[in-house]
Amino acid sequence: MNLESIDFKLFIETDNNPFILFESSGHIIYLNNAAEMLLCYVGTKELYDLTLTYAPKTFGHKSTIHSLEYESFSFYSLMVGYETDEQIYLRLYNKPLVQTKISISNESLIATDINTILEANITLFQLESNAAISLFVDQELPAFKLDQNYFSIMLRKAFNSFINSTTLDVVLKLIVGEYILIDDKKHQMIELVLKAPKRRVDHDDEISQLANQTHIASSLKPEIIKFQIPLIL
Amino acid sequence: MKLFYSTSTKVQYITKGLELSKSLFVSSLIIGEAHIGKKSLIKSIFPEIPWVDGSDIIKLKQTLNKHDELIISNFELYGDYSIGDFKGKRIIAISDSTSFPSHIDSLFAFIYTMPSLKERPEDVEYLADIFTKEARSIFMTKDISPLDLAKIDLADNTKSLKKAIFEHQAYNTITPNKIERILYNYFEKELGGNNDYAKYLPIFEHPLIMAGLDKFGSQLKLSSILGINRNTLRKKVYELGIN
Repeated sequence: MNLESIDFKLFIETDNNPFILFESSGHIIYLNNAAEMLLCYVGTKELYDLTLTYAPKTFGHKSTIHSLEYESFSFYSLMVGYETDEQIYLRLYNKPLVQTKISISNESLIATDINTILEANITLFQLESNAAISLFVDQELPAFKLDQNYFSIMLRKAFNSFINSTTLDVVLKLIVGEYILIDDKKHQMIELVLKAPKRRVDHDDEISQLANQTHIASSLKPEIIKFQIPLIL
Repeated sequence: MKLFYSTSTKVQYITKGLELSKSLFVSSLIIGEAHIGKKSLIKSIFPEIPWVDGSDIIKLKQTLNKHDELIISNFELYGDYSIGDFKGKRIIAISDSTSFPSHIDSLFAFIYTMPSLKERPEDVEYLADIFTKEARSIFMTKDISPLDLAKIDLADNTKSLKKAIFEHQAYNTITPNKIERILYNYFEKELGGNNDYAKYLPIFEHPLIMAGLDKFGSQLKLSSILGINRNTLRKKVYELGIN
């Protein structure tokens, strides 16, 4: 087989692990799809500095086991390599997710307008907080199935972690191009983001647990809480 | 009269939250001091949902078996907060107590703390107006000066307010005949010692001198009004412990 006729770039392009090729000045020459998504959350300079920190001493390739977290991205290892003085690449390896077979009991799920449940939670939050709330929500989201009680308890606790904040940004939107498989069925996802300069983190374990119970992916950082909610129609 | 009314911002937030939750199948807990309008608020928002008292465990369990939606008043008296009982139910619980076992927090989607009447001065005026109208209708009075609301002790919230207004109306319509009747009933019940004249005389003298001093400002003036020597008045003031 003539390997030269195979377009290897395509494999890198669609690889789930981010790959970035830098020129010596730190500018990006090439990046794959996964890296493009990562760059929405982390700056080019930070990644270039990381590349130089873990670069091999001389020409070649070096793998390092190193845990990295950027928003909802988690990596367990990285590889840096260069064959010339002109270009250097960084490849990050996704931390494998614990795969549990997701199955949902339909009994507790009720078709819900998520904007109503969100508004009720914001109203409750405003009872105790003076935070200036900036709301960016998609009012056109369709009603979808949720365990309303659990979801609302989770939201109450999430909002409560921002109780002492002076500001709170709330974003609710449909995620484009990402899906979750539940009972072998593909579902779109809705993302809810709560963000403030700082928040209480003492109930984070409880919030994560409630999110798991309701099949919601959660990411809790000191300034931001992000939920990815399956849109079960 | 509306079933529930409040101009307090906090109560309006609670009302809005509960209104929004009407379209959701979620459980809510509303807590706060007694006599602040929790029950009236819930009744006005959820008029169709059956009620049960938390102190009546047997009836509560029977109603839970029969209905998916339920309002539990006096929730603090319901000792068995087992989660299983509430699963798949929409519970609206009302409680005068704010202390519960920690897992209660995970039973309710929304937990509202309603402010007391002391924290809602804007509502005191409105309620005082309603209670005054009610009292005037009962006592058939109309020209009695309004009560100074700032001086009312609101320890028992609307109960204290209503009591103070009704007492004010009653005291201001009282005639000597009624006073005599009240005193007669009181003495008939209480008399029976060996020095009762001296014991009960202050019941007459104390309000007489207090009101006189408040009205005329000085013992000199009051002694002339009462037609007694001012040294006698001074002695009475001292004996009665009037400051």
